[in-house]
Order: sequence, then C-alpha cells, then structure tokens
Amino acid sequence: MKMNQELRNVCEKIVESAKAKGAECDVILSKGNSINLSAQGGAIDKYSISGSQIVGVRVIKDQKVGLSYSESFDQGSLDTMLSQALSNSANSDVNEFEQITNLEGTHIHEDKNSLIESSMDEKVELTLKLESEVRARDKGVQAVPYNGFSEGRGESYYLNSNNCFGFESDSSMSCYTSALIKEGNESSMHYEGALGRDLSKLDIESCITESIDHARNWLGAKAIATGSYDVVFNINELKSLIGCFGSMFSAKSAWDKMNPFRDKMGQVISDTGLTLRDIPAHSLAFSHSFIDSEGTKRADLTLVENGKLVNFYHNHATANYFKTKSTGHGSRGAKGSLGVSGTHLSFDAGSESSPLNGEYLEVNSMQGLHSGASFVSGEFSFGASGYLCRDGKRVQPVKGITVAGNFYEMLKNIECIGDKVNSDTYQSFFSPVIRFSSLKVAGE
Amino acid sequence: MLDKSVANDVIHEAVSLGADFCDIFVEKSNLLDVVYKSSEVKNIRSGIDFGIGVRLIFGTQALYAYTNSTKREDLLSLTKKLASYYKKAPTQNIGALNFSQPVEYKNIPYVTDGSYELKDKINYLSQLDKIVREESELITQVNLGILQKETQIEVFNSEGLYATELRPYVRLTSSAISSDGLTQASGMDHPGARGGFQFIADLDLKAHGSEIARQSLVVLKAKPAPAGKLPVVIDNAFGGVIFHEACGHLLETTSVEKKASVLWDKKGELVAHENLSAVDDGTMDNEWGSLSIDDEGMETQKTQLIKNGRLENFLCDRLGHMKTGHPRTGSGRRQNYKFAPASRMRNTFIEAGNFEFNDLISSMDDGIYAKKMGGGSVNPGTGEFNFSVMEGYIVKNGKIGEAIKGATLIGRGEDVLKKISMSAKNFELATGMCGSVSGSIPTTVGQPAIKVDEILVGGQA
Repeated sequence: MKMNQELRNVCEKIVESAKAKGAECDVILSKGNSINLSAQGGAIDKYSISGSQIVGVRVIKDQKVGLSYSESFDQGSLDTMLSQALSNSANSDVNEFEQITNLEGTHIHEDKNSLIESSMDEKVELTLKLESEVRARDKGVQAVPYNGFSEGRGESYYLNSNNCFGFESDSSMSCYTSALIKEGNESSMHYEGALGRDLSKLDIESCITESIDHARNWLGAKAIATGSYDVVFNINELKSLIGCFGSMFSAKSAWDKMNPFRDKMGQVISDTGLTLRDIPAHSLAFSHSFIDSEGTKRADLTLVENGKLVNFYHNHATANYFKTKSTGHGSRGAKGSLGVSGTHLSFDAGSESSPLNGEYLEVNSMQGLHSGASFVSGEFSFGASGYLCRDGKRVQPVKGITVAGNFYEMLKNIECIGDKVNSDTYQSFFSPVIRFSSLKVAGE
Repeated sequence: MLDKSVANDVIHEAVSLGADFCDIFVEKSNLLDVVYKSSEVKNIRSGIDFGIGVRLIFGTQALYAYTNSTKREDLLSLTKKLASYYKKAPTQNIGALNFSQPVEYKNIPYVTDGSYELKDKINYLSQLDKIVREESELITQVNLGILQKETQIEVFNSEGLYATELRPYVRLTSSAISSDGLTQASGMDHPGARGGFQFIADLDLKAHGSEIARQSLVVLKAKPAPAGKLPVVIDNAFGGVIFHEACGHLLETTSVEKKASVLWDKKGELVAHENLSAVDDGTMDNEWGSLSIDDEGMETQKTQLIKNGRLENFLCDRLGHMKTGHPRTGSGRRQNYKFAPASRMRNTFIEAGNFEFNDLISSMDDGIYAKKMGGGSVNPGTGEFNFSVMEGYIVKNGKIGEAIKGATLIGRGEDVLKKISMSAKNFELATGMCGSVSGSIPTTVGQPAIKVDEILVGGQA
C-alpha cells in the first residue's frame, strides 16, 4: 500500500497548528479497511465491510503532556482535537521525562508483501467451505458456531514537530473455523485459525481437521487426578500465557512500581538455559515494523540471557527516567498514551533433542486468561484442555481441569528446552518445546 | 448528526436493491480519561469517536458496513457495495419515510454531571490517592482513573423508525498495589454508573479507598488456594459474574440461533435449582447497563430469564427474533458503530433469597468463601465457564478462616445452576465490561451471596 500524501498533509497541518500555539507535538494517523465474512446453514450470514480512520495528537507544552484524538478529519474537528489536547496539557502535572524525540528523518516502509488479489466469489466460496466441510466430515457436528474469513489493509503515519516522519503499511488475510460436537449429554468444541496473504494458500485443511480432531478427542474426555504434572504448552497457548505477564519486561511498569522485576536487572530470574529476545525483523515473522511510535528505529533486543534479566523495553520517557537509551519499543495508538510494547518474542533453542520423554501434560486450550492471571504477583490459574502424554504420544484426552502456578517461579522450574524453534500460527512468536516441571493441576 | 434526507436516501437505495430491511446506526461519543498514578496526573486524554453503521437484511442474512463519512455519495456507495452481494430484485415499496421527529419513549434516568471542572475531578483523585496510601506503608502504588463518555446515538430504519438517545457513562477505576519486599498483591474496585461525575462525587471516598487497600493487604498475606471439588459460597455484587458466565451468555439468541448454546431448546424446562430466579433488566435508574432504547431503537425492558429454576425467556435482538421466533427484548447492543448489533446482557442478576449470609457459611464443613470475584469467560456451545477469585477464604466447620489466593472456579453452566442451593438476602449489583461478538459493552452483574454445593477449585495447594 502506497503512502497517501493527503493523509500526510493532515498530519503536517496539525503539527504546524500546534507549533503555532507554542507546543511540541507528535501525530499518529491510522487508516484501514477490511472485509469479514462468516457462514451459517450453508449461506453467508455475516458480510461486513469497513473503512475507518483516526488521528491522535500528543502535545507537550511547559513539560506537560496532553492527548486527544478524532475520527473526523474535517478542519473543525481537528481544531477541536488540538485545543482539547492543549487544555488537557494545561491541567496535567509536569512530566520532565516525556519529550518529543529529536530524531529527524523520513522512514517509509510500504508493505512489500501485499495481498494476492482474489474475487469476492472466491472469498465467499472459501467461507462456505469452512462451515460445510466441518459438518460433512463428522456426523456428530451439531454446529460450526465460529467460522469466517477476514481480509484487512492498514496504513500508519507518524509525524512530530522535529520533522521526523514515518509511514508503514501492512495487510493480511485469515480464516478460522470450529467444530461443536455433541453426543448424548456430552459436548465438546474447538477452533483453529490460519493466516496468509494468498487466499489459495490459506491452510483451511488444517483449520478443519484440527477443529474436528480436538473436539472429537475431547468428547467424553475426563479430568485427570489432582496433582503435580510436568506441562508442555502448545506454542499458541505458551504465547498467550507469556502475553499475560509480558509487562515483566516493561520499563514503564518498573517506573510505575508495578513490575516485580524492577530491581532485578542483571539478576538470574529464570532457568539458566533460557534466553529470550525481541526480534522486530525476525526472518520467519509474518510482518515487520521498522520504527516505533516515537519515530525510533527498531532493533533486536535481548531480554533474558542464560536466565539473567538483561534489558527492559524502553521508550524515550522511560529511558530518560532510568538514564539509558530508548530500545525502540515506544508504543502508542492514535487514541492512547505513550507506553512500551514488544514485537516478536523468540526463545533460543535449547540442547534437549528429546524433550518429550516420559509422562507430561500437553495443554492445547486454556480458558480465562484475561481474568486468571495477576501480573503483579505472578499467580495464575486457568481452565484447560489437552492430553496426557507419554514419550511424545497422546495417551489420554483431558478436559475439565485447571492448571495453576506462579509464572515467575515457573520460569525457574524448567525441566528441559527442546533444540528446535517453532513458530505460532500467526508467525509472531517463536519458541522450542519448553517443558515446565511440577505445575499444579486440579481435576478429579 | 446524520442529515435525515441522507438517511432516507440510503434506506430507499437499500430497499430498491432488494434488501428486506435496512437500518442505520449513527454514533458520536465524547471521551474524557484521566489517569492518576504515583500521586500525580499521568495522562489526560480526550477524543471524539464518530461513525455510521449501515445494516441490510436479506431474509435472515445480515450485511454490515461502517464508515466515518456522512457524505451522501459515500453512504450510497457503501450501500450499493453491500447489496451487490445479493443482486436481488426489490421486494417491497416502503414509500416516504417520516424522520421529522424521533419516537418517544420512557427515558431511563441518570446521575447528572454536576458543575465540576477538570481540576475538581483531579482533586478527587488526589484525595483518594492519599486515603489509600495512609492505610499502610506496605502500599507501594495507587492507580486511579476517571473515565467519562457521553454517547449520542441515532437509529433510522426502513420501517420508518427514527430514535435517538443520549447515554452518559462514568467510571472510577482504582487499584492498590502492596508489597512486603518479597511478593506483591493488588486490590481493586471500579464503580460506575449511567451518568456523570456527580456519581463519583457522591461516593464515600474514605470507605472506597480503605476497601481497595484492605483487599490488597489481605491478598498479600494469603496462602495458595486448595485444588479440588469443594462447596463454595460466592458473595454478592460482582459475585454475579458466575450467573453472567454460566448462564447469561447461553441465553443470548446470538448463540441460541446457531444451536451453539446448551440451553437453546430448554425454554420452559427446569434448568436451575428451584430456589433460583434471575432477571436481565435494562430499565434500572442510573445503572451502568441500563438503556432507554437498545441499539436497534427498541425500548428496553425487564426480562425474567429464570423463575424458580425454570427457563422463561431468552435475550433477543431483531435477527435473533427472525431466526428463532423468540420475542425481542430490547437487547440489541454493540460496543460502537464498528459492530453490528447482537443480543447482549444489560443489568443481569440472581434475585435475593431468604437466607441470612451466615446460614450459607455455617452450612459448609469444608469449603471456600469467595468474597470478591474477578472476571471470567464461557464457551456457550459446551457451557464450560471459568472465573477467578480475587479475595477468598477457607471455610472450616462453618467458620471463615484464613485468606487464600490464586483460585479459579470452573464448571459447566448446566451443572452449576442446579447446584446453587441457597441464596441470601444481601443482594447487591456491581459494574463490569462484557466482551462478545458485538464488542465490549457496559453490563451490570449482581446477586445475593449464593452457595454452590460443589465446583472445581483450581488452586496450587
């Protein structure tokens, strides 16, 4: 997707107006469009198309920050937005650390891997297949409650009052389906998704078979006995679990005195076999981002090296506070305030060629991640489904259990780390098999 | 907000292209968000959300599009693009639509905004911050915020309906972090209302601040929760999340119409313990989940969901009605114009029972008292739900004992509803945000203290 000069002009007008009022500022503008389809009963039951835009401004005047945004780009709305931001700034406390970056330059990164065009009829056909194939392949399927195809394109503009400009665009398509199988009073459901840029190469076969297989396997599955088990999380679940505690690498949460690792820099916080990096331009990643939300160029960052905490994610404000440099992980949406966030997390391969020997619990589905985890304490407890396994083979489907522990302690209790790195479904997280020892499972 | 002649033209265009029904949802929201952390103002954020959603229904199939543009040509183009999927001849002549005056309805009251300047609001947060910190030296951080949103909506449809409503929302977000040098814990409470800042100004700040500090300090000293099947007493207010997850979502026709709810064919049947009655009521004064009209322009109502254990009604929007035949309940809701409406909960609660709170506790030899609940989720298709306990205690021989942490409760809605054997008199409501197919919306949960005879507790001990 090419840069749109008219949208760049919108950013420039806002910056000029802010400067005329004696304020420094930066502007983030996002624009996108999408198509979403889903099917029920052999027909398309959801057909949604959208186009949206939003612009947000962060002003700094007299060392005070103010934020505002607008979804309307007419001059009146943009003027109101700026005056609201200035008014908010006037009512804020002095923040000597947050500044507009002094990084001149232009960074234009147009999406080189743009979508392979497909017709609406092809999209509809694929969507209908996501429902009909699940029903056709298993007579026990009562419903395919969640299925669909999505296609989206987005563009993002950054401009600040020190002449730093950035543009990035991205696009993707995805599909997903589910199988709800019912026999007698027993029911079971699972769903799977796939991501790509070419409709003809979307892995719908995997979505269909995985949905049916897991739902079928878990029909009539029982809980295992309450006790302690070695646990291997499916890579998608591991990504979600780490996402719950991702702020442990945030300098902002350390500044806010919420990060329990705020005083642990340089200390061993995990098994010494663990090395974790943030790699913005990971060769296997689906999409890449080259600048952060303050216009800083992104770069690889090692967070944990051989078990030792070696870096936090920094933006310029946290870097000023901690007297260090930004790591290029500033994060801000058009509506939001400045924070930090990672890009693609990647664990290094370990040394174990057979990490799946003996008995362990494979967790393939977790429920309640948004409520069952406390970043502040590290405690977690989730509902889960999976398989009891021996020597890499699934010997018993398991559901109706909870898996509980303390994430920060869990990082220290690693049985072994596999020697091959895999990617999650959405190509944004990379990890070998990590076998955690003695997590508490509640069941029968 | 939208020129009525443009609305008229868009709807006529949709019908001329074969749509059986068309509605337009227009939304403009003004937001104010103040974040107060580390005893200072961290951020003040404001903004305007504006957009228009156009829905076309062909038979029982819905097509939806949204845009930020109010231009006639943009909206007509969007409508043509949507309708092109069906390429159908017109089936009706709707004639002229009269959008000159909005329909009249009973306006659900709300708390006013009062005459508070931004600096007054910041002053409230500063006072609350001091109250929390004065509770203990172990309090290491206090995160506070005021979120105010004023949403104006308009709904136009091909049946000639033109409806409009102003919806003000206010919420105080507050959490306290405590630390003993080795571990950290948090306590939180986020009261909210349909209304303005006066709601916060009327709160007892001392009681509120002391409560979140107390909660954090209790959890700091708590021991790991036990694991296994146990009886549990779940206290009032946000404890109502159990009904929200275990049953409420299963009664939304969004799931029922796909047979993706275990209760889809159970209307009239005994689905819960005969002591249990439950309601979803959108008409309550000042409540966070109340609406005068839903997002399809229908006047909202009080809906009896379960009466003495028997399933009486589902929560039904227009499409749900067309697909299932169940009556509409004024429950069509959405986060904003970016979502098509779907059947959703409003203020949903278990009605008060006849027991004293202590009757419930003393009935357990060995169990858990869940004083404060966190959030949860459910898979409507299987009825499997989970939710977390933020503040809990062991119960031994009918007495509340030491505090526990890190517990999740899981089960199947169908099973657990039949195990709610006792309800106390201490009914109370609490505010929350509910995420589902049409986005994240304000909902209220509530209940008296209830006893669940057996549920799986996922702890670490």
